[in-house]
Amino acid sequence: MLLSKRILAVYYEDTKTTMCGIIGYFDKTGANEGSLGEVLLRMLQALACRGPDSAGVAMFGTHRPNYFVAQVKLGDNGQHADRARQVNALALNFGAQEFSQSDSYLRFMIREVDNLKPFLSSIESIGRDVEVVSVGRRLEIVKQVGSPSRLEQAFKISKFSGRYGIGHTRLSTESVVDLSHSQPFWGHGYPDLAIVHNGHITNYHQLRRRYEQRGVRFYTENDSEIVAIFLAEKLRQGADLQAALAAMIVQLDGSFSCLAATDSAFGFVKDAYSFKPLLVAETDSFVAVATEEIALRGAIRGDYTVREAQAKEVQVWQR
Amino acid sequence: MAEIDATGRSTREINLAIRQSIAEGSTNITVVNPGARHNLAVAILEPVHIRIAGSAGYYCGGLIDGPSIEIEGSAGWGLAESMLSGTLRVHGNAGSGAAAAIRGGTVVIRGDAAARLGVSMKGGLVIVAGNCGYMAGFMAQKGTLIVCGDAGDAFADSMYATVCYVGGKINSLGTDAVVSTMETGDTEQVEQALSTYFPADLRKTKPAAANFKKVVAGRKLWNFDKRDWRIWQEAL
Repeated sequence: MLLSKRILAVYYEDTKTTMCGIIGYFDKTGANEGSLGEVLLRMLQALACRGPDSAGVAMFGTHRPNYFVAQVKLGDNGQHADRARQVNALALNFGAQEFSQSDSYLRFMIREVDNLKPFLSSIESIGRDVEVVSVGRRLEIVKQVGSPSRLEQAFKISKFSGRYGIGHTRLSTESVVDLSHSQPFWGHGYPDLAIVHNGHITNYHQLRRRYEQRGVRFYTENDSEIVAIFLAEKLRQGADLQAALAAMIVQLDGSFSCLAATDSAFGFVKDAYSFKPLLVAETDSFVAVATEEIALRGAIRGDYTVREAQAKEVQVWQR
Repeated sequence: MAEIDATGRSTREINLAIRQSIAEGSTNITVVNPGARHNLAVAILEPVHIRIAGSAGYYCGGLIDGPSIEIEGSAGWGLAESMLSGTLRVHGNAGSGAAAAIRGGTVVIRGDAAARLGVSMKGGLVIVAGNCGYMAGFMAQKGTLIVCGDAGDAFADSMYATVCYVGGKINSLGTDAVVSTMETGDTEQVEQALSTYFPADLRKTKPAAANFKKVVAGRKLWNFDKRDWRIWQEAL
């Protein structure tokens, strides 16, 4: 066995107290696009007690041809108006339009490009605490410190339409509590990739060193960030989401129940030891996944069966 | 019959209402709209029947001694953990750690069980109509574990004297777990358990008792022998 039995026993006990909640919803038919935000909010609220530090969602909506939508964090020090003007000015170089500001975020559309690096470098040169939180054809990430209800107050996520989305409530165990360390994480630089993770990646520092040697920038000290970086790398190399998630089981150590979504797929992976819970409900019309069944029953009415995902299980649904 | 609506009540309030009903003489209690709430019907020590009309969350029926609990939906982690006696039936699936450390009683899961089913059980009977996940029976010490479907990896790892029966395939055996011969007494025990706890239509869909595989401890971990060093390395 790869893992010491003693460690396993400790972990088994540990899972009773170490938390964070993850949720995901995938509308198979497209018939319920209008209610995506509301479903995600209800699921998150049911898991608010698992993660009182922060909450966030990654939602996949309608694609506007030839445009990406960008969500930019304006900083940590409250100078949002100045920062918004600076971001606005730089973003115009990338054909940006339709700017709107909510809380510490500036949202806008930019022209679709193959390489996002010039855009990211330009915007993030404004300050170390300015961060492009998401870019994608369909993807929009909003997250912040506090409860899901606070997230709703700030961003009205319940009004969001779309086919699928994922979300997270965080109980910080190792890194600081702020917007950047919150989840979901974007696969930075890879459009439309978002992840949420419950668990610990125990070979995080080793992997991080290797990525940093190759010039990859990390924005946080949160081990979950490496999941997004890892999956983005696999997708860039040509893997599909199924293969990329399966590679996590081989190359990432520790405990993980993880959801990931791209502009065309939605899926989950569970680690080889099934350390973390993940409940799955699938019907002809939807797939819903959450850390606790209480999130499913609280958000989705009707008669459906719920099961716990097994160790090493990977499942992906195509849009 | 007493009916308790879980809507809008905290877990503590639901459990207090169950205890209040028992104190008032109810022997048949139904919890409606459970909404997969955690810790329902824990530490019930009276021989009453409790029906959970839906799904239950974590640790349902933990620490019970005597009641019969029926969950009409699925159950979360730690189902019936450390129960002493009684019966716990789940119509749907069960999460990880079902029947962990039970000392007696019977746990019946009509769907699948996730990881670590019956770990460290010290007695009792666990029956799963479907499949079970990773590391079922890990360090189980006494009692009987019956899985009608397939068993996941590391099945019956580092076990003591629990006896396991599997109707389907076993993905992989754990350290020191061995497949043993089904004797007449084993076949009778499996048949009696299945026909007692499954409705006839469900029993019909499961393998014949004689076709189950019996898994027990190889006893190489029971006493240290330096010639078995490799097994100890793997186990510890």
